[in-house]
Amino acid sequence: MTLFSIAIILFLIMDPFGNISSFLNLMQDIPPKRRRFIVIREMLIALGAMVIFNYLGDILSHLLEISKTSLQLTSGVILFLVAIKILFPSPDSLRANLPRGEPFITPLAIPLVAGPSLLATIMLISQIEPSSLVMLGAILLAWAAAVAIILCGGTLQRVLTTNGLNACERLMGMILIMVAIQRFLEGIQDFVKLQ
Amino acid sequence: MSTDLSILSMALTFFLVANPIGNSPTILALLKNFSFEKQKKIMLRESLISLLIALFFQYFGEAFLNTLHVSRPALTLTGGLVLFNTALHMIFQKPETPNEVENYQEPFIVPIATPLISGAGLMTIIMINAATAQDNLSITLAILTAWVGVTFVLVAAPYIQKILGKRGMAALEQIMAMLLGLMSMDMLIKGTSLFLKTL
Repeated sequence: MTLFSIAIILFLIMDPFGNISSFLNLMQDIPPKRRRFIVIREMLIALGAMVIFNYLGDILSHLLEISKTSLQLTSGVILFLVAIKILFPSPDSLRANLPRGEPFITPLAIPLVAGPSLLATIMLISQIEPSSLVMLGAILLAWAAAVAIILCGGTLQRVLTTNGLNACERLMGMILIMVAIQRFLEGIQDFVKLQ
Repeated sequence: MSTDLSILSMALTFFLVANPIGNSPTILALLKNFSFEKQKKIMLRESLISLLIALFFQYFGEAFLNTLHVSRPALTLTGGLVLFNTALHMIFQKPETPNEVENYQEPFIVPIATPLISGAGLMTIIMINAATAQDNLSITLAILTAWVGVTFVLVAAPYIQKILGKRGMAALEQIMAMLLGLMSMDMLIKGTSLFLKTL
């Protein structure tokens, strides 16, 4: 996989367009100056979590010696489930029941941006991808794009309206589901070749 | 003269593959909780979005799929899985309490605009047409022509509800969910057999 395609996958799982509304909702009562600071702090925490899990993936791959095929199949299934959640939102999802007050780490950094599915995917991909430099680059690229979108969240919502944001999220969900199925198919291809 | 004909025949193909006549009862079943005016609005909006998706795939489809490394079988399987999920939701829906009906999620883009109307089949045909020499303008014209028909059929569809009534709609929903299930399974099988050929 190339740096660019890993970055796209990570970006899609972070779901920045979907998270804009949660960020805006949570920070209604906070003065605008402080908002920017909070967004950057939360995103940095999320980045930290991603990098940690990236190295955790490297360590685990040495310990467990899981085959590339099963990694690919697993990441395909996880991506698929994430995409289904984006495409068919359920009313009792995390995003529908946000706590009040100033957010710190939860729920913005973890799990809304760096959720279990993102961290698991990073661990899986870091085991597939031999070069950790590429992996870090991809994480940084995806993260920077997500930060840019969330920082412009207020403006984006005014320009695109809630429906427009929904549209972006849905289209990204469709792309994510295609990527998920492609990964799954590649896993099967590997498996068949091994036989 | 001949180019006019080929535009028309391409438009006809696109219209048939988008299949608004076959799809509109299904879409109507998905929208049964909305008022007549709202249904017409949703139909118009979804039709425009699907047009945008079709045009996007005409110009950028090949590059888009290549960047993401998505193969044709994966595209078909995606359509099948998303539609199958929709069919399951329609068949096994939980009884709704009055409270829930109010904040009922309005179907947006998925599953109506894509993959029902601008599905994998349409994307593939458009991309093939775009790749085989035809000049881009005539394909765009053909898509636009096809979409005049698609939009007309979709916006006219809510009138069926007036004829069928509430009970008729409930029956229609169950039947259409079954048909949707069959359609999606057909896509899944097609995608799988395409994939098996690549092994």
